Amino acid sequence: MTDQRPPEDSGAHGGVTPGQYYGHGLPYAAIDNYPGKIIAIEGTDGVGRSTQIALLREWLEVQGYGVVETGWTRSQLMQPTIDLAKASNTLNKLTFVLLYACDFADRLEKEIIPALKAGFIVLADRYIYTAIARAGVRGVDSLWIRRLYGFAIAPHLVFYLRIDVDALARRVLESSGMAYWESGMDMKAGDDIWDSFRSYQRQLLKEYASMADEFGFRVLDGKKSVNSIQDELRRQIGEFLAESASPRMTA
Amino acid sequence: MTFSLLHATDFADRLLYKIVPPLKAGMIVLADRYTYTAFARDVARGVHRQWVRDLYGFAVRPDLAVYFRVPIDVSLDRLLARRVKLKFYEAGMDMGWSANYTESFRIFQTKVLDEYDQLVEEFGLQVIEAGSSITDQQRDFRRLVSENLETPKS
Repeated sequence: MTDQRPPEDSGAHGGVTPGQYYGHGLPYAAIDNYPGKIIAIEGTDGVGRSTQIALLREWLEVQGYGVVETGWTRSQLMQPTIDLAKASNTLNKLTFVLLYACDFADRLEKEIIPALKAGFIVLADRYIYTAIARAGVRGVDSLWIRRLYGFAIAPHLVFYLRIDVDALARRVLESSGMAYWESGMDMKAGDDIWDSFRSYQRQLLKEYASMADEFGFRVLDGKKSVNSIQDELRRQIGEFLAESASPRMTA
Repeated sequence: MTFSLLHATDFADRLLYKIVPPLKAGMIVLADRYTYTAFARDVARGVHRQWVRDLYGFAVRPDLAVYFRVPIDVSLDRLLARRVKLKFYEAGMDMGWSANYTESFRIFQTKVLDEYDQLVEEFGLQVIEAGSSITDQQRDFRRLVSENLETPKS
């Protein structure tokens, strides 16, 4: 099909006002003037996102903010399906991408939008950029995936914890070990999980890097200590919250 | 939205396993519903018209698409004669328009049929009036299919 519309007509792209839909959105869910905020923490597997989010949550709650966490593939509707699909050998790049989108849509409607409406701060452990990066590595059309996520809401802040493949590999090995999917073994680059992990993660990092400017990521050095990353996150989030109109206290 | 995306996932799976391989083998694929069902049903549920068309941008465009059009009363009579109760989603009960299944079905399917009418023009669907007898419909259907098979494709 010939389609001359530029992506900004309907897809996820930079330059969208935070808190608004990237594209067509959900026509049945108006979100204008909702008081809540979305803060997304992006970064590849094992970079320390969940540790940082746990610390942020505590810090925000002590200040009286209501906080809701939402995490990739954690929707009630989709998590069992995604686990099952990953366990079988029938997923292809399209169904993989669409299951993720479905998971995100479920959390958007059931968790994120209600929380924004009620004035919560939504801490998102990964956001649509992870899906776009993984799809990009698997050769999915970049315009198509951006339009797909046109129903997403642009976060108020996106932090990207950047790390290099060598540091990442050591970290992952020290904790859970290299897993099938995060090593991109489905891409059948070879039987060696070490080589596959490195080549897959290297490609992912490239995809994230290419999105950093497009979506205005605030890039943090993921190799720094947990505390120094946390201090930087708090400093930037604190500034942002002070600048924006003080959110309604809901707790 | 999840309803729409789950169906798209199912479609993508069938496309790659059940539709594309036989097409490559030169076979005829008979599809009982195609992307047009999603276009009509999802939009009736409030999903954005262009978004759902973009979503299915990965689909293969069919060589022939036939729409069996039927008035709501006829489809209700047929469904209710066959089984006691309408299904939750086919009656659009998830939309909360009415607590009554038959009433909700009417509201929902009216929206769906309106969407189909737009699709006929947009995608050049061939229409068969499905209120007529099965024999008549089948004759029309066979004529359409024969014509399509005889036409050399560029």
